[in-house]
Amino acid sequence: MRRRKIERVEMRKLWDEDPVRIPLQKSRKRALVLVTVILFCFAVIGWRLIDLMILDHDKLTDRASQQYIREKTIAPQRGIIWDRKMRQMAANIESDSLYAVPSKIEDTRTLTKKLARLTKISSKKFNMDLLKKKNKDFIWIDRKMDLETVREIRKLLDKMGYDSVGFIPESKRFYPKGRTASHILGFTNIDNKGISGLELKYNTYLKGKARYVSVGTDARGNRLSSNIKEGFSGNNLVLTIDEGIQYIVEKELDNAMDESKAKAAVAIMMDPMTGEILAMANRPTYDPNTAGKFRDYMRRNRAITDLYEPGSTLKTILAAAALEEGVVDLNDEFDVSDGFIVVGGKRIRDTHKNKILTFQEVIQRSSNVGAVYVGMRLGGENYYRYIKKFGFGRKTGIDYPGEVKGILRKPENWSGTSLAALSIGQEIGVTPLQLLRAYAAIANGGALMKPYIVSDIISSSGSIVKRVSPELSGRVISSRTAKKVTDILKTVVEEGGTATRAYIDGNLVAGKTGTAQIYDQKTKRYSRDRFVGSFVGFVPADHPKIALIVVIYEPRGVSYGGVVAAPVFKKIIEQTFAYLDVPMERDENRIVLVNRFR
Amino acid sequence: MSWGIGRVCRGEDVYINSGQSRGLLIPILILVGIGIVMVYSSTAIMSIRDNGSGFHYLWKHLFTVCIGTAVMMFLSKTDYQKLRPMVYVLLGLSLVLLLLVFLPGIGISANGARRWLRLWPTTFQPSELVKVVMVIFLADYMDRNIHRMKDFRYGILIPVGTMLLFQLILLSQPDFGAVMSLGILTVGLLVLGGARLIHIGALMLFALPAVYLLIMTSAYRAKRFICFLDPWKEPFDCGFQLVQSFIAFGNGRFLGLGLGGSKQKLYFLPEVHTDFIFSIIGEELGLAGALFVLGVFVWVFVKGIQVSTKTRDPYSYFLTIGLTMLIGVQAIINFAVSTGLMPTKGLPLPFISYGGSALLVNMAAAGMLINISLKNENTSCSRTSPDFVTGGNRHGLLRGGRGSSGRYIRR
Repeated sequence: MRRRKIERVEMRKLWDEDPVRIPLQKSRKRALVLVTVILFCFAVIGWRLIDLMILDHDKLTDRASQQYIREKTIAPQRGIIWDRKMRQMAANIESDSLYAVPSKIEDTRTLTKKLARLTKISSKKFNMDLLKKKNKDFIWIDRKMDLETVREIRKLLDKMGYDSVGFIPESKRFYPKGRTASHILGFTNIDNKGISGLELKYNTYLKGKARYVSVGTDARGNRLSSNIKEGFSGNNLVLTIDEGIQYIVEKELDNAMDESKAKAAVAIMMDPMTGEILAMANRPTYDPNTAGKFRDYMRRNRAITDLYEPGSTLKTILAAAALEEGVVDLNDEFDVSDGFIVVGGKRIRDTHKNKILTFQEVIQRSSNVGAVYVGMRLGGENYYRYIKKFGFGRKTGIDYPGEVKGILRKPENWSGTSLAALSIGQEIGVTPLQLLRAYAAIANGGALMKPYIVSDIISSSGSIVKRVSPELSGRVISSRTAKKVTDILKTVVEEGGTATRAYIDGNLVAGKTGTAQIYDQKTKRYSRDRFVGSFVGFVPADHPKIALIVVIYEPRGVSYGGVVAAPVFKKIIEQTFAYLDVPMERDENRIVLVNRFR
Repeated sequence: MSWGIGRVCRGEDVYINSGQSRGLLIPILILVGIGIVMVYSSTAIMSIRDNGSGFHYLWKHLFTVCIGTAVMMFLSKTDYQKLRPMVYVLLGLSLVLLLLVFLPGIGISANGARRWLRLWPTTFQPSELVKVVMVIFLADYMDRNIHRMKDFRYGILIPVGTMLLFQLILLSQPDFGAVMSLGILTVGLLVLGGARLIHIGALMLFALPAVYLLIMTSAYRAKRFICFLDPWKEPFDCGFQLVQSFIAFGNGRFLGLGLGGSKQKLYFLPEVHTDFIFSIIGEELGLAGALFVLGVFVWVFVKGIQVSTKTRDPYSYFLTIGLTMLIGVQAIINFAVSTGLMPTKGLPLPFISYGGSALLVNMAAAGMLINISLKNENTSCSRTSPDFVTGGNRHGLLRGGRGSSGRYIRR
């Protein structure tokens, strides 16, 4: 050990004397700095690793899963809507949608300029959109386009050789009957989601479930793992609507609109026994295939969502209540020779002067004064109870979205004129459907039915998911009373009644006209020149097959329900009976009529 | 395997090596081992898809490792001083090889760069050789001119000129990774060699605009540089590789996805087995694995520096530091590139990345380092030849000629 130590000292001495030693000494100092710098670099990398692997972990793995997993949803087929005879009312067709891959487009300006012309999108906005979504891999440019545009764009793409833009076929909702039954069916948005009508109400049944496929892939798209959630097509609907009748109703509404130059019109046809809606039409109307192009008021289903004052048509309810309560008899007489009556400082007039009318005639001729007398006999509380019983002031429960319950004030909130007003069908807001249902209850002997449009829901495989059967909402009057009221209503279309224009050869019509002034919200009083003319009834009177209401809003010129609505009623019923092959109730009537017209 | 334990000095004094050289050998073997595992892990699936067998890259890598080990073994047992007289031959050889790359038929181009020579059964990348030869040359040069390094001509002009010659050729290949590591090495060694700092500063001042021009004159390079600054801006374009590398690291977190568990190697991250193998290490082995690899490199570096402090002549000293820096700087550049701290350059991770030439050359450098550590292990050795520090060297210095170095160790 000692020897080695001496050697070391000796060695050191030799080393220290070495002339190379001096520059090397300096070099070692520099080396120290250099080594420190390099070690510092290692430290920086160590910190950077912590930064990337720990601090940025969430952000990066989030990003990572985006690129590992490719998800695809394959849209399901939306359920088909059939009418009661299994005719397609709403179906699906393949339609092309234009997409772009913004990250692959180099020259957005020329592309947008060219495409904008064909797709009718503003090229400036289009260009901005593309630039904004530059890092996206997929955007829609225009969806479910018409064939002509698709063909033009295809031609352009072939010519220019763009591969960053292309078409994908999508299932598009298609309404083969166009405007027919448009208000019933409603429509869907571009993503096949129900927006209104039955499409909205039954969206959960119709939409089905998308097939979801997520595939874990490598960067070349090789499949590593996959996760498939099977989807299914939407359920199909079978409606109570009959397309043939619907067509008849709509055609006649169109004619009526032409003739009366009305603002709007509604007709609903119902099977009075079951509550099935056979047809329901509105004017103005729209085409659900291009629903976006129509204004809101055209797409509204007034039959269910709009209120009006029923006017004289409500007198039937009054009559039914009075008869059921036994406060009047068919032959009770009322003196209406004054032509007016003053109630609570308000004068209620008759349109035609009468002298002394029986109760039956009060309804037949629609005497306001007579009705007020009847109402007074019946009393407010009773009358209110019956109105309520007949389903006014609450929703009918029809399977259609947006139904309103109407306006019906409770007797404690009534003013002095309220009873009189209600007797002639004012101070109450009803939907045409509510009124029709009330008449249907009279037609079927006193059963208030719940109206419905969809009778069956059938899965895509054909099994029945849900079957709707008629539902009773409550009994309102006895069948005896119903029979009496029906008899009164029969006289309305006969000689002396207000609706002779609704008289149908071979079949008895039971119905009632209504002509209501429109309450002007601005002036707070009933308008003198704006009316709603309506006719509601059922045929054949003694064995009713059909209950129908026709409401004409604000017709120009003559606006009596007996003039504007009754003929429409007649035409619809006649054609519907021909269509349904309903035999005539009274064959002898034909002979009589033949004689008469001679 | 006899490195680590063996004869150190000739003559009567034979010492059992006390572990100095093992201190270098072990980390290098660890790195090579990690390299084998990670090359297999990162290429297996790619290899099955493209070559039919999962072992395609592994076999090739193992083949190189075997040759590399042989070279390392040979050099660790060959006196490093014997290489010194051959330095100009080596310099000339690498120059010729570099130029041969441009000869069609012999040179091979891939990914838009001509860097490889056809060499059955594989290829060779002369730029890797250039780095180590440059280190040997500089060590020799600075040893001979140790007293003239303050001179601009000797301290800067000649060595930097030589460097620039190589750099120009490398630039036209192009091989920026090599240009960069060559530049850092040269400047670093010149600083150590005693060149005036003001000269070096001036050099840098000139280099900066040159580098700037180099980047900005080529749209491709400019784009790459901009993408380096913010890779997330164009994650599908030029920022792709970097973003994918980040994702790999992010996936790794503390302990990684497990060996073989990398998702990024499934074609998401390009060059997984070469330039970006560190990202896959991070992804599969986590922060722990990545820091371990980093630590092993620090270990190699520190050991190398330790060896340098034990050397007894400037040539050995410069050579040791140069070789240590060669390994360290390349590792740092590779780490920095894959973690987004430096613009993307094609530079493999020493000892780990797949890629024959780099592995071979780095293992050769390691072999030389081990040999230096063995030779300079024990001061006692010098007892038999005390003049090995004094006489010969002094002579050589005084004469200023070359060839004197050969007589450093006279036994």
